[in-house]
Amino acid sequence: MRVAAGNRWLPAAAVTVGLVALFALPQVTGNEYVLALGASFAAMSVLSGGLNLVYGYTGLLSFAQVGFFGIGGYAAALLVTEQDWPFWAAIAAAGISAALVGLLIGYSSLRLSRHAFAIVSLSFALLCMIVARDWVELTRGSMGIPGLPTPTVNLPGGWRWRVVQPADFYYLLMGFAVIAHALIYLVVTSRLGRAMRAIKLNEALAQSQGINPLSYKLLAIALSALLAGIVGGLFVFYLTIVDPSIFDFYYTETTLIMVILGGPGSFWGVLASSAVLTVVPDMLRFTTDLRMVLYGVVLIVAMIVFPGGFGGWLQRRRIARWRRPRAPAPSVAP
Amino acid sequence: MDVSFFVQLLLNGIVIGVIYALIAMGLSLIFGVLEIVNFAHGEFYMLGAMLAYFLTVNWGFGYWATIVIVTVVALMVGYVLYEGLLASLRGESFERSILLTLGLSMILQNGAVFFFTTTPKMMETPFSYSNVVVGDLRVPLARLFALGLGLAAFGALYFILYRTRVGKAMRGVAQNRDAALMVGIDPRAVSRLAVAIGIGLSGLAGAALAPVYAVHPLMGFSFVFKAFAIIIIGGLGNVSGAAIAAVMLGVLESLAGGFLPLAMVDALAFVSMIAVLLLRPQGLFGRGVRV
Amino acid sequence: MFSRRVTIAATILAILAPSAFAQSTTDPIVIGASTPLTGSVSHFGQHARWGAELAIAEANAKGGVLGRKIEIDFQDNRCNPAEAVKSVTQMLATKKYVAIFDGLCSSVALAIMPLVERAGVPFIVANASATSIAEKSGVGGNKWTFKVNPTDASMLDALIGWLDKAGKAGNIAYLGEDTDYGRAGSAGLEAALKKRNQKLVMVDYYQKGAADFTSVLTKIKAKKPGLLALYAIDADFVNTIRQWYSLGGGIPLTGRVLVDQVPKEIMASGFLDGTTSVQPYDPSVDTAANKAFVEAFTKKYNEAPMLISFESYETINILIDAIRRSGDASPAAIRDALASTKYKSMLDTTIEFDANNLIHNNAIIFEIKGGKVVIVGMSKT
Repeated sequence: MRVAAGNRWLPAAAVTVGLVALFALPQVTGNEYVLALGASFAAMSVLSGGLNLVYGYTGLLSFAQVGFFGIGGYAAALLVTEQDWPFWAAIAAAGISAALVGLLIGYSSLRLSRHAFAIVSLSFALLCMIVARDWVELTRGSMGIPGLPTPTVNLPGGWRWRVVQPADFYYLLMGFAVIAHALIYLVVTSRLGRAMRAIKLNEALAQSQGINPLSYKLLAIALSALLAGIVGGLFVFYLTIVDPSIFDFYYTETTLIMVILGGPGSFWGVLASSAVLTVVPDMLRFTTDLRMVLYGVVLIVAMIVFPGGFGGWLQRRRIARWRRPRAPAPSVAP
Repeated sequence: MDVSFFVQLLLNGIVIGVIYALIAMGLSLIFGVLEIVNFAHGEFYMLGAMLAYFLTVNWGFGYWATIVIVTVVALMVGYVLYEGLLASLRGESFERSILLTLGLSMILQNGAVFFFTTTPKMMETPFSYSNVVVGDLRVPLARLFALGLGLAAFGALYFILYRTRVGKAMRGVAQNRDAALMVGIDPRAVSRLAVAIGIGLSGLAGAALAPVYAVHPLMGFSFVFKAFAIIIIGGLGNVSGAAIAAVMLGVLESLAGGFLPLAMVDALAFVSMIAVLLLRPQGLFGRGVRV
Repeated sequence: MFSRRVTIAATILAILAPSAFAQSTTDPIVIGASTPLTGSVSHFGQHARWGAELAIAEANAKGGVLGRKIEIDFQDNRCNPAEAVKSVTQMLATKKYVAIFDGLCSSVALAIMPLVERAGVPFIVANASATSIAEKSGVGGNKWTFKVNPTDASMLDALIGWLDKAGKAGNIAYLGEDTDYGRAGSAGLEAALKKRNQKLVMVDYYQKGAADFTSVLTKIKAKKPGLLALYAIDADFVNTIRQWYSLGGGIPLTGRVLVDQVPKEIMASGFLDGTTSVQPYDPSVDTAANKAFVEAFTKKYNEAPMLISFESYETINILIDAIRRSGDASPAAIRDALASTKYKSMLDTTIEFDANNLIHNNAIIFEIKGGKVVIVGMSKT
C-alpha cells in the first residue's frame, strides 16, 4: 500500500487509534452482544486472513481452514480435559498440530497439482467432520466435549487471570487476532510476501528466478494452519463446548465470501469485509437460507465481474488515478 | 461365511456403484473438457430427484415418462448453464471456476431448502414395494431399474464418445485443448455438449434414485464430495476411470458395511482418495495425455 | 476504517440497550427461543416452532397471561453451539425476554446453560436427549435450566421391562444414528439390559443423512437377532424402513420406532406387526386434551403433530403456567414458579420438576398389530 510521502505516519496512527478503540470497547459498553460479535469477528477474521494468505497471496484455493480450526479446537479441549495440560501449552500444541497436518496434506497433494490440492483440502475438511463424529473413543462423537473449564492464565508478576467473563474472552480472542494479523502483515509485506505474490502471478517465471514454489506454498499453508489452530483452541473455550459442528461447511463458505469480497491479496480489504460480514448479517436477521443464496449470488457475480473484490477495486482506482495525465507543463512554442 | 450374504452385499454394492458412476462420469467429463470442477453437480442430482418427485406426485406422470422428461430438462439446463455462466470462464483460472460453481451450489441448495423445506419426501411408485427375489437374494425393483438406466447411460455415453464425431472432438479437447483448436475443433460447441451431458447424467441419476431414497434438498451434498474423491481415484479427467472407480467404491463400501461398523464406511471414500494421492498421484487409471 | 464502524455501532447499541426493558403492565410478555430453523434438522425445528406457537396462540385467545399478551421470538441456531451462543447472547443482552426456550440439540443447550445462569433468566429445554443437561441442573448445579422430556434411559428401562415380561429381552440388535440421540439410545438399552443380566448382541451406528442402509441391514439379518432396536428419525427412518422392507424384514422392531412416519402401504401390509416401541408421546393417546391438541394442530398446520411438536407445546404451556403463577412475570419469579410446578400433562399425569429440574412424564409403549398402532401401556419414567 503506497502513500504519498508526507502522510507516511498516517496509516500507523490510524491503526493505533483503531487498536486502542478495539481494546477500550469492553470498558465503554457492557453489552454482551457486542462482545460476542467481537469474539466472533476475532475468530473469523483470523480464518479469513489465513485463507487470504494461502489463496489471495499465493494463489492456492484451499477449503482446509475450517479443518485446522476444528483440529485446534479439539486438540486443545482434549489436552486440557483428558491429559490435564495447562491452558497455554494446550493452545500451543493445538496450533502446532494443525500446522503439521497442514504440511502433510499440502505436501502430498501439491506434488500433483493445484487442482488436486483444492479437492484434497475439501475432502480433508469433510474427513475431519467425519472423524469427529465417528471416532467416538477419541472425540466423544456428536455429543462433543462439553463443560470446558475456565482457562487460567499465569501472568508475570504472580498474577493469575481467570478468563470467565465475556469481556475476558473478548480480550483474549481479540488480543490473539491482533497478533495473528500483525504476523500476517509482516509476512505479506516482506520478501516472503513478494515471493508468494510472484508464485501466484506466474509460477514458472518465479521458479526461473530461483524461488522454490513448493516451500513458499507450504509456508503459507503452515502459517495459516497454525493461526487457525490456535484461534480454534481459544474459541472452543469461549463456547465451553466443542462438537463436530465446528467443522461446519458454512464457515468455509463464509470465510470464502469474506476473502472474495474484500479482495484476494488485499490485507486491509479482507479485514474490513470480515468485520462487515460478522456484524451486518447478524443485524439483518435474514433467514440463513436466503443469506446463503445471497452469498452464492455474490460469489458468482464476483467471479464474473469483480474478481478482485473490494480491495481490487480500490487498487484499480488508485492505479487509474496514477495514470491520469497531470496538468500539462506549459509548452514551449516550437 | 454365508455365500448369499456376501453375494447380496456385492449386488447392493454394484447398484450403488453404478449410481455413483453416473454422477462421477458427468463430473469427470466436465473436468476433462473444460478443466472446471463443478461444485454444483450434486445440486443437479437433487433437482433431478425433486423434479421427478413433483412430476410423479403432483402431476401423475408415470415412471418412464418422468425419467425421460427429467433427463431432457437436465440436458437443457446444462446447455443453458454453459452458455449463461461457464462460457465466460473459458479455461481461465481454475480457482474461479470452483468458486463460481460453489456459489451456484449455494444458491441452488439453499434456494431449494427455502422453497421446499428440508422435510424429506418419499416418492411412491406402483412398484415401490416390489422386489425381485432369486433364492436368498433380493433386489428391490426400483433399484434394478436404476441399475438398468445406469448401464444404458454408460452405453449411450460410450457410443457418443467413441462412435460419433462430436464425441471424438470431446476426447480431443480433453487430451489437448490447443491442439484441438489447431485442427479446427470448436471448443465452445464441444464444451457446451460436455456440460449438457454431464448435467443430464446427474439429473438422470436423481430421477432414477428418487423412488429409492428420500428426496430432500440436502441429498446432493454428500454424493458430490464422494464424486470428487472418485474422480481423483480414477484419475482426473478420465471418464471411464471414474466409472470403474465408482463401481469399485460402491462395492467396497457395501462389503465394508457388511463386516465393519457402518460408521467407518463414510470415511472410506476419502481415505482411499488420500491413499491414491500418496501412492499413485495420477489416479488409478491416469489422466490420459495432459497432466 | 472498520474499527470506526464498530465503535459507532457499539455506541448506538450501548445507548439503546438499557432503555430496552420497560416494565410496563400492558407490554406483551416475550419469550425468546433458539431452535434450528435452517440446516439439516430444520424439519424438527419447524415442528418445535409450530407446537410452541400453537400454545401461545391458545393462551392469547383465552385472554393472555396476567392480563398481557404473550409472544415468542424465534432465532435460528442451525444446531450449532457457536450460532446459539451468539443469538442467545444477543437476546439476553436486550433484556426483554423473560425466559429462553430451546430443544433439539444437546450441544446447543449445554452451550446456552452458562449464559442463562449469568443473566439470571430461566431456560427451559424441550427435546434434547443428553443426560448431562439434567445432571448439571437443579440443586448444586445450574438453577436456571429446566428440562421437560424424560431421559431415554428411563423410557428404555420401561420398554425393556415390558419386553422382559414377554421373555423377549435377550438377543436384541441395535441400529441408531450417530448423534447424542442415537448414543443415548444404545446407552439406555445397555443399562436397562444390564439390570436384567443381558446385553445387546450387536450395536451399529449410521451417519445422519446416509441414504443407503442395505449393507448394515443385510449384516443384521445375517446375525438373526430376536429383535432389532431402531433409533432413527426423519429421512433416515423412512429410508431404513423402506430398505428393510425390500430386504424382507423378518425380525420385529423395537426401540423408538416412529410409527406415524411409516409409509402407509408398509404399515397396512402388516409387515411391521410385532413391533414394540416406546415414545414420550403418540398422537393417538386417548385423552381429551391430546385429542384437542391433535385436532387444533392439524387444522392450523396441515400436518399431524409429531413428538417434537407435542413436547414443545407442552413445554410452552408449562412455562405459561409458571409465568401466571409468578405474579409479576420477572425472570427470577418465573424460575421459582417453575421449580414449584404441578402441571396436568396432556397424558393425564401430574408432572413436576425433580431435584435436577427434570420432569418424569409417562412413556408410552405401543405395539403394531394387524397393521395398526395399539397403545399397550403407559409407564412412569
